[in-house]
Amino acid sequence: MAQLFPKHHVMGFIFSLVLTVVAMAVVVYDLSYTAAMAILLITAFMQAGVQLVMFMHAGESEDKVTIYTNVIYMVFFAIVTILGTLLLFIWDM
Amino acid sequence: MEFFERFAVPHPSFAIYASMVGIALTSLAIVVGLTYFKKWGYLWREWITTVDHKRIGIMYILAALIMLLRGLVDAVMLRAQLAIPDNTILDSQHYNEVFSAHGVIMIMFMAMPFLFGLMNIVTPLQIGARDVAFPRLNAISFWLFFMGAMLFNIAFVVGGAPDAGWTSYFPLASEEFSPSVGTNYYMMSLQLSGLGTLMTGINFLTTIFRMRAPGLKLMQLPMFTWAMLVTNVLIIAVFPLFAVALAFGAMDRMFGTQFFTIGNGGMDMMWANLFWVWGHPEVYILILPAFGIYSEIISTFARRNLYGYKSMVASMVAITILSLVVWAHHFYTMGQGVLANSIFSIATMAIAVPTGIKIFNWLATLRKGKIEFTTPMLWSLAFIPTFLIGGVTGVMLAMASADFQYHNTMFLVAHFHYTIIPGVVYAFIAGLIYWWPKMFGFMLNEKIGKVSFWLVAIFFNVTFFPMFITGLDGQARRMYTYSEETGFGPLNLIASIGAIGLALGFIVLAYNIYWSTRYMPRNIGSDPWNARSLEWSIPSPVPVYNFATLPHVKSSQAFWDAKTKGHNLFPDKVEEIHMPNNSGVPFIMCVIFFIGAFSLIFDMIPLAIASLIGVFACMAYRSFEANHDHGYHIHVKEIEETEERLRGANK
Amino acid sequence: MKIDNSLPLEYSTEENRLKILGFWIFLAAEIALFATLFATYFAYQGRTGNGPGTEIFEITPVLINTFALLTSSFTIGLAVNAMRLGNKKAMLTFLGLTLALGLVFLGVEIKEFFTFVHEGATIQTSGYLSILFSTLGTHGAHVSLGFFWGLFIIIQVSKYGLTPHTANKAFIFSLYWHFLDVVWIFIFSFVYLKGMM
Repeated sequence: MAQLFPKHHVMGFIFSLVLTVVAMAVVVYDLSYTAAMAILLITAFMQAGVQLVMFMHAGESEDKVTIYTNVIYMVFFAIVTILGTLLLFIWDM
Repeated sequence: MEFFERFAVPHPSFAIYASMVGIALTSLAIVVGLTYFKKWGYLWREWITTVDHKRIGIMYILAALIMLLRGLVDAVMLRAQLAIPDNTILDSQHYNEVFSAHGVIMIMFMAMPFLFGLMNIVTPLQIGARDVAFPRLNAISFWLFFMGAMLFNIAFVVGGAPDAGWTSYFPLASEEFSPSVGTNYYMMSLQLSGLGTLMTGINFLTTIFRMRAPGLKLMQLPMFTWAMLVTNVLIIAVFPLFAVALAFGAMDRMFGTQFFTIGNGGMDMMWANLFWVWGHPEVYILILPAFGIYSEIISTFARRNLYGYKSMVASMVAITILSLVVWAHHFYTMGQGVLANSIFSIATMAIAVPTGIKIFNWLATLRKGKIEFTTPMLWSLAFIPTFLIGGVTGVMLAMASADFQYHNTMFLVAHFHYTIIPGVVYAFIAGLIYWWPKMFGFMLNEKIGKVSFWLVAIFFNVTFFPMFITGLDGQARRMYTYSEETGFGPLNLIASIGAIGLALGFIVLAYNIYWSTRYMPRNIGSDPWNARSLEWSIPSPVPVYNFATLPHVKSSQAFWDAKTKGHNLFPDKVEEIHMPNNSGVPFIMCVIFFIGAFSLIFDMIPLAIASLIGVFACMAYRSFEANHDHGYHIHVKEIEETEERLRGANK
Repeated sequence: MKIDNSLPLEYSTEENRLKILGFWIFLAAEIALFATLFATYFAYQGRTGNGPGTEIFEITPVLINTFALLTSSFTIGLAVNAMRLGNKKAMLTFLGLTLALGLVFLGVEIKEFFTFVHEGATIQTSGYLSILFSTLGTHGAHVSLGFFWGLFIIIQVSKYGLTPHTANKAFIFSLYWHFLDVVWIFIFSFVYLKGMM
């Protein structure tokens, strides 16, 4: 039975629940915008990291370099699209 | 009767009725011809159901050539209208429809399939693979593209053609200002072919990453394959984004959402933003493969190794990254601040650096080379100076403050034709002539090829150079006419004469294909150009399994080094080869996609939902079928016989 | 078909390894898709026209959804673990649990949509609501598709057992499901929590 619930999966699950609760702080407490966004960014990216490494086994096969490059490149593109759009439409309009 | 009224053309003319008759007669002729020569079964078994990357590639190229013809006819109509002041060949509505069709067809349905055709045929052969990673997905990609192209092409006879330009900017493209179904066609046909493009991107990246021949490292890939790698890296980033933008646009028109409206919190310029986040990398998706083709051809016919392999790869990667961060230079005049414009302006100019590195590397390859002036080489040599003019005017346009003057003038039209025609069309024609013997087992006639080259190379400049001048003088693009007082008349007449010469050049190219198919000798061996990469080490035309045994690669010029230094590329013994089965499901699924897209265009929601279910049914069918579809095997004896027949006859 | 027995079943043939890498590349493309939705969403924040803004959000259904998806991501991880142990029965149980949690998620989300519409917030009301519904709807459509995909995998594993083929499919499905969880975390943080700040 213990085999069916390996430790790192259980730890990952608990960790993701904790991160969710931490993120909730931005709604519960009256934080400054910067502090709240920092908390959200950090918890969200850590959650993504937990899923990627612990659950999705991104690093287990011989293609791990390809897979990580692929994901990092696309996160780069995502950030460029989001920041560029915000720059054009909000920050410098 | 009311049901059928929606399919009527809203702004008919004699030309459109004539086209309807023409299309009907051509379709009838094809059906009768296929029936008379009993070719239906052959067509279905050998082509429609095929999963062979070489055949899919040939179908892509065939479709691209047909679309080239259609785009060319549109271009000639545009030039005919602009030849003299106050001309009345086309009215404003038809002019809008024709330039919209010209742009979309040339970019999406000519250049893209041409690229995929060459990519399909050459990439697996250059890396020593037997097929692509997902042969059946490849077939789906092709048929999605094909259905998208057909959908776009029936627009002008069924329901009305798109008329908001190839960029389809909102609010012009909104339901309010473009009430006909034309823009719906634009949204849906690009959605279909874009989906196919994304699948191709995934497919070829996986192929290049995992299916290289033993010993072939990434830094030893031939330059064409490197170009394909970075091209597909761009495709997987920007095509999902374009799918979202198209879905927003379609929803605004069909379901009344408020993405690009002017009131209610919508933002029309968001379309321009999303369009160019996709659109700018898209032009690099077209030009990077071209750089790869030129690298192959220049190195082959200068009889030298490509100069600066590593800097060539590095500059391509740099272009890939930079091309993602320059999109706002297409709308400097939108109203954003100086900071944003400066950032995008500097990033744009920075692209000139890696592109310059590539130009100098090609020049350095040519230096001290024993240059052989074959037709592919002529196209490649003509590319360098012509493209340079396009590049330099691009740097002019990149300066945000100066761009306020050039924006939307003929100067811009001249600029992008100077980049896209030498950069993309020359390359694909050069590539087609270069790899033609590998596809079909005979060469294209060099003499006729040179006639068509000189016609295009000369009349291209006659057509487009005057536009730089009229553009700087203030002639706006997309205007269907101009008055005599503007003084644009003489230069426009020259440009129109040039267009006739340009068209003539392409007709000679088509004639060359016809003539060579009939009269060129078939006994040409596997390596007619004395070339350098792996695709020339196997028979022409290539047998279905490509490589009887997988090559063992030691350098980036694998075949050249094997020839000159006497390596044995194929040390292995022939073994049984496992091949995937053909399947009709991709074609059927894409026909259902076509029906679904067509019914969405005309707001027939029940049929659209039924089609969606049909598509999922095809996917579910495949999911179960895959458990017992193990493909088939080609036996050793059969391979040996084929190799004996193909190589024996040629040696 | 060459089978390499030193590797887990889902990696055991070259075809399987190709499919797993191909799916990773597909997931990267999905990142781009959701990034576009987020970029538009951020730019449209406050562009509410005459319609309501973020005040329509309620915390309870969002928390239920977050918990359901996080747990389903955990259970599908356990399903893959059970599959690698060769325990078909446990694997099917975990898969079934995952899909059930997916259904809970979909049910709560659909109810939430009805509440929104009831409060006068439809996809046609304003630019902001168009992109809000599109972002949530795209994720929801992915979950719905995943539900049927998972169902087919349960049928195939029960019918054909754990073969290189079915194991490969189940593993790829687990990648997809984890990815949807990641997307939800970003929606939870940057649409809901940020909106309720």
